[in-house]
Amino acid sequence: MTPKAEKSSDSTVTMTLTRRGFVKIGGALFVSLAIPAGFSAEGIASPTSLGTKQLDPTLLASWLEIRDDNTILARTGRTETGTGMSAYYAQTIAEELNVRPETITLILGDTDKTPDGGYSAGFLSGMTNVRKVSAYTYQALLGLAGTQLGVPVSGLTVTDGIVTGGGKSVTYGQLVQGQHLDLKIPVTGTLAKPAPSEWVGVAGMDGLTVTGDPPMKPVNQFKVIGTSYPVPGIPDKVIGKTQWSCDVTLPGMLHARMVRPATLGSKLVSVGALDKKKFPTSEIVKKGNLVAVVSPNEWEAIGAARSVASGTKWTDWSGLPGSENLTKALRAHKWTAKPELKGKPAAEVTVALTKAAKKVSASYEQPYTRHAPIGPFVAVADVRSDGSVTVWTHSSQSQGLRARLAHMASTPVEKVVVRWLEHSGQYGRTTLGGDGAEADAVILSQLTGKPVRVQWTLQEDIAWSSVSPGWVADMKGGLDANGRLIAVHSAFYSPYMFDPRPLGALLAGMPCNTSEPAGWIATEWPYDKIPNRVEVGYGMANLGAESVSGGLRGNIMRTPGQRQQNFALEGLINEAAVSASADPLQFRINHTTEQRLIDILNATAKAAGWKARPSPHPQARKTGTDPVTGRGVCIMLRSNAYWVGIAEVAVVPETGTVQVTKFTIGADCGKVINPRQLDRCMKSGVVMGLSEALKEEVTFDKSKVTSTNWSRYKILTMEETPEIRVVQISRDDKGFGGGSEAANAVCPPAVTAAFFDATGVHARRIPLTPAYVTALLKG
Amino acid sequence: MATELTLSVNGAKHVVSVAPETPLLFVLRNELKLTGPRLGCGLAQCGACAVLVDGMEVRSCISPVSEAVGKRVTTIEGLPAVWAEEKSLNPAEAAKTLHPVQQAWIDEQVPQCGYCQSGMMIAAVQLLAKNANPTVAEIKDAFTNTPPSPHLCRCGTYAAIIDAVQRAAQAMKA
Repeated sequence: MTPKAEKSSDSTVTMTLTRRGFVKIGGALFVSLAIPAGFSAEGIASPTSLGTKQLDPTLLASWLEIRDDNTILARTGRTETGTGMSAYYAQTIAEELNVRPETITLILGDTDKTPDGGYSAGFLSGMTNVRKVSAYTYQALLGLAGTQLGVPVSGLTVTDGIVTGGGKSVTYGQLVQGQHLDLKIPVTGTLAKPAPSEWVGVAGMDGLTVTGDPPMKPVNQFKVIGTSYPVPGIPDKVIGKTQWSCDVTLPGMLHARMVRPATLGSKLVSVGALDKKKFPTSEIVKKGNLVAVVSPNEWEAIGAARSVASGTKWTDWSGLPGSENLTKALRAHKWTAKPELKGKPAAEVTVALTKAAKKVSASYEQPYTRHAPIGPFVAVADVRSDGSVTVWTHSSQSQGLRARLAHMASTPVEKVVVRWLEHSGQYGRTTLGGDGAEADAVILSQLTGKPVRVQWTLQEDIAWSSVSPGWVADMKGGLDANGRLIAVHSAFYSPYMFDPRPLGALLAGMPCNTSEPAGWIATEWPYDKIPNRVEVGYGMANLGAESVSGGLRGNIMRTPGQRQQNFALEGLINEAAVSASADPLQFRINHTTEQRLIDILNATAKAAGWKARPSPHPQARKTGTDPVTGRGVCIMLRSNAYWVGIAEVAVVPETGTVQVTKFTIGADCGKVINPRQLDRCMKSGVVMGLSEALKEEVTFDKSKVTSTNWSRYKILTMEETPEIRVVQISRDDKGFGGGSEAANAVCPPAVTAAFFDATGVHARRIPLTPAYVTALLKG
Repeated sequence: MATELTLSVNGAKHVVSVAPETPLLFVLRNELKLTGPRLGCGLAQCGACAVLVDGMEVRSCISPVSEAVGKRVTTIEGLPAVWAEEKSLNPAEAAKTLHPVQQAWIDEQVPQCGYCQSGMMIAAVQLLAKNANPTVAEIKDAFTNTPPSPHLCRCGTYAAIIDAVQRAAQAMKA
């Protein structure tokens, strides 16, 4: 029998159902690929046999299998990054198929077991893929059920995977039992492949996109999306059953510890001696400036690496300005690399500024910060003599990493398999398929002929992984006689933040892309009532770019670019409100017609108990040992979501201590998929954002990073976390928006505004450390 | 040099042959395949490796395995048994009952990446053993100021942890 799929607008979608006859795998329903759904590293007999496997993305079975026990196996190349995406994928699929989400099992991220690749950070695009596949499948199942029950499709209803019509019913499992459903899934795009001369060195980072326009469930009929479905992986994490990437062990595997250069630019002079009496099973492995010690015993490898490191000699290098001179160095740079411009021509905005009744100008500074996960990078690689490469990782861009490693190892991309497992959060550093320990592991496995596990130390990770670069911004605003902003000119200056090259490849001198800096404007402009606006973004190479390691490799980090640019923009808006003697919240409302923004501003203000008045506070004070208090607001528009942050602070002028006493965060991100997870993500984003506002700074001298442990790179503790109030607005008619990222970014501008409210002094730099604050208030 | 040591971990005796100065963490993970505790900083600065030794939190990343000999080591894998013993649950009940701290971590959906959460649950168990009904301020104090260092979470789950500790406290009183 060959029933046609329900008519969709895409004519390429056809479905055939044939008796399976020759394959009887326990009634499993769609084509089985004979790849085990689970994963046991110990149980992998022959990883190389999977080396050339690539799922055919046009086959339904590559995306979804419905089994005759009414469970569903779904696959996506995206991963869980700790923000609950595995729950949202299950909810999305369940919604379109009318099944319960707990019947769905997900396979995430493995390049040989998932079809589409793409950025894990791009949940909305990944969600669209699985949503469309589910919608196509739903139509096919309805067609089958209609035929089997002898009822027109229009007379069928589906609840929990049971199709009912004409007084009869049939489950999905019964519908497909013993049969083989071929449903062609229309896709466009390509999987990631090496492209060393292109942006970030890899083409096809977006992965595949499912095309066509299958009928999808209207938002107002959602039953699963909009509920707080629990994240599937949490119970195993809590009871100790999760297999993390740091848990992978393979037969014959060696443990490696890296011996890193003395400075970012040092070259190897000589490797220290290895005392074989003390470290009998250890070996030194080296390639170029990449040095490691390997041993079957992890503790021995640690001791041996320390011992070898103490005797290893490196050349001197000093090519960094020192973090205390960062702003000076950025100011001294000649900014010639392709600037990006958004808004009106700069000349027009300059003319408008000259006509302004009142002018406000200010420069803002932000230091280098970093992702700084609790778990340092770790990876396992198994490189075989036939050139096949299997890597176990927690990179959030498996296909991109696969392409990059293939290029580095000079092996065809088809021979590389990347297996994804959960691990510590990445916060953007692996989004571009790089950074990490994977390159080290591949090189060491290639050289030793054995599987190698590379575990970075914390000190190594927060000295050598990629960083979020520092910024300088020059902002100018012009107000008319009524206190309305009529022009804003923004100029942003920063080292490049798209350099995901793996350290191992750079140090070993293996094939790698080059990094070509350019300017970048990341803001989305919420103030449509400001008639003249231009933003110019200037880029430069990494600090220390010419060194063997690539220097301070800039990389994207949670709310990249927009976080830093919004700090300056919202800082200027707050200063303009001060200049206009206006309440800063009302001042924002006065400059936008975006009703969603106005609504979330008002709702968040209400939750925070905001009372309208201009800043600073009438009792603002910049001296004394008693605390002064203040409040501040900021907003962000990002990815179809509107965000508001309201900070309340207490400042002790004499000691320079700044405490955030309460933070209220509001978001309208269209249809809320999972209210509890959104609540969790908003609160945790605030923790990260306050950490940046109050504490975080990567310090470096002229040759190396010096903030190399948690007492030198300080992050927010539980005690420093204030009461956090959350406001959510869910809308059925505005699509889906980004629901996690901007939460960290609405903290620093709100905190610095609250600091001004309390003290009457503008803080135009973060972090607000006691040393900076006391100097600022005394200045 | 490798030495034979007898360890009591999660109620079971294990004989391991390791260098006595090896940090407990590596023995638990590599020899006993208990992967609940994880390597964070290796400096006792973050808490990801925390385990209980005779009921007290120990940072297993810097604690020599030899110091655990003769003591009771508990990882998150062993928490359900600790609770079952405390409540004298019969085997059937015990098999389906998690420690209330673990149950609260699930009910409150605490973990994001989850990497630090094994240590967080260990800290919660120790806190609740000393203080059956901690206030928010006491929870913050315990997770921040108990030596040797604050328990750090980079995903920023502190608010969820506070909710879960209070939920667990209620469950344990019941």
